[in-house]
Amino acid sequence: MNATYIQNSIAQLKTEIFMDVRHRTLQKYTGVPVLDENQLFYLLIPFLNGEEWQQEQQEAAITVGIVYAALAAHDHIKELDATSKEQQLTVLAGDFYSGRYYEILALSGNVALIRSLSQGIVARCEHQIKVYETEQRTIEQWYASMCNIESGLIAQFFELYSFSEYIPLMEKSLLILSLEREMAAYQRGQMTLIGKALEESVRRNGANFNSVIKEKIVHLKTELSKMLESASFLQNDVKRALHAHVEASIASTNG
Amino acid sequence: MEKMKLKLLYSDLKSDIDIIERELENAVDSSSYLINDASLHLLQAGGKRIRPIFVLLGAKFGEYDIEKMKDVAVPLELIHMASLVHDDVIDDSNMRRGRPTVKSQWNNRVAMYTGDFIFARALEYITKLEDPLVHQILARTMVEICNGEVIQIEDKFRLDQGLKDYFRRIKRKTALLISSSCELGAVAAGVDAKTVRHLKRFGYFVGMSFQIIDDVLDIMATDKELGKPAGSDLLQGNITLPILLLKDDPEMQPYLVKVFAGTLTEVERQNMLHYVRKSHAIEQANRMSDKYLKKALQEIDALPKHPVKKKLRDVALFMGKRKF
Repeated sequence: MNATYIQNSIAQLKTEIFMDVRHRTLQKYTGVPVLDENQLFYLLIPFLNGEEWQQEQQEAAITVGIVYAALAAHDHIKELDATSKEQQLTVLAGDFYSGRYYEILALSGNVALIRSLSQGIVARCEHQIKVYETEQRTIEQWYASMCNIESGLIAQFFELYSFSEYIPLMEKSLLILSLEREMAAYQRGQMTLIGKALEESVRRNGANFNSVIKEKIVHLKTELSKMLESASFLQNDVKRALHAHVEASIASTNG
Repeated sequence: MEKMKLKLLYSDLKSDIDIIERELENAVDSSSYLINDASLHLLQAGGKRIRPIFVLLGAKFGEYDIEKMKDVAVPLELIHMASLVHDDVIDDSNMRRGRPTVKSQWNNRVAMYTGDFIFARALEYITKLEDPLVHQILARTMVEICNGEVIQIEDKFRLDQGLKDYFRRIKRKTALLISSSCELGAVAAGVDAKTVRHLKRFGYFVGMSFQIIDDVLDIMATDKELGKPAGSDLLQGNITLPILLLKDDPEMQPYLVKVFAGTLTEVERQNMLHYVRKSHAIEQANRMSDKYLKKALQEIDALPKHPVKKKLRDVALFMGKRKF
């Protein structure tokens, strides 16, 4: 398995997701669905590692991607003024993608995944809305929210299809990448709401945001390396790919 | 007064509706206090609970078990609620049923997350039923409702549309979910295919009639009765049936020009409403609603003999003649 094979697999998944949610009007005003290639990569890890991956698993992975696209669409809605046609249709794009993931799974009778993903969406919404709640949260609680937002739905899928052993390394990797993105955004003064909330928690503790996040990333990377070393279920080339993916993504974030 | 009539109409379903009300509260229970507040804010605003009622009435033709039926009725009401939360973001509405909307009380993002949460809870809830057909019907309905909303946005402020466009829009906006409520209640109760078909069609016709009346009431009712300014649909660019029937009227034209330019004053809004209320369009729209209502009643006639047929008839007539 080389980088081209991985890229092709991600590209194929992306194409299948686009095909399943294509909609002339929505595409015209809102563009193609927003998909995070990092998430798609980790979504495909069991497949890349040679786990049983039939039509059912591929379809399940597609629907996980669709749900992320639906929620990402709604993340683009402005807090105070969503009156433009583009914003109005972005609301509907998210709803349409949600309807489509449900429809795809309903047609194949995969009620278990409908349930599992619904539970995942419930939890993700609860984490996302925390930024608007007034109670003070700890740095660790914000890390947990970031982790859920990034990887919760993939974890639901992994759990249902008995890929649970992949969850910890997927969660750690996506959290590392998310924190790296927040650090880069911090330098540019363009943090996300959750990044700002995290920064406030750090400041409340009298610490420096950059140092705390860097330290966390180092800690997570050390844990990830140990995990990869001891992960006997992973093929060596997958281990290398996982390691390389984190490094490459960090390099591209930093620029 | 009208709400009293409605309650009386449902009186023999009261204990089951109470179960559904309680389940609705349980269903939106969340670890986030903000989602809890926003969801309860919505639930407490009330609503006619038409969709759950039709689920229950449809199910009466089969093996009626409220414990099973609530698993269908609750998600349908939740889906309706969630779509209203998102609609208020799209329409930039600050008031609904006389209360501030979620988006105005908090903000658009909170409304988006609350809506997504409620949608997801609805699906989580309905997965208590394993029958793929139930999910196929509901999923198709959800996608079609969305398609209808996309069309509605495309049709906004467009006067070059005909009745066909309007009926296509309200079919997806309202009639489909009511039709699916009747159908799903019946399917979940194991009703035979022919009866399911009639119930589905009944729901569709009632839904069409209901939406026409809703559009008429947006003009005829007072701001206080509506809990928002009368004529809001048109002010938001939605061309409803009464307006469509008057679009070529020379006296209506100046108002439409001002509405579309966003320059209609409060006095002009009142004058416009007065004009539309006195026009032939209201009577014509009511007649069209009656046509659908008649078709709905014909579907009831085609249903097998059952005491619930009278109830279906009463509810349909109430909905087609309601004043709020």
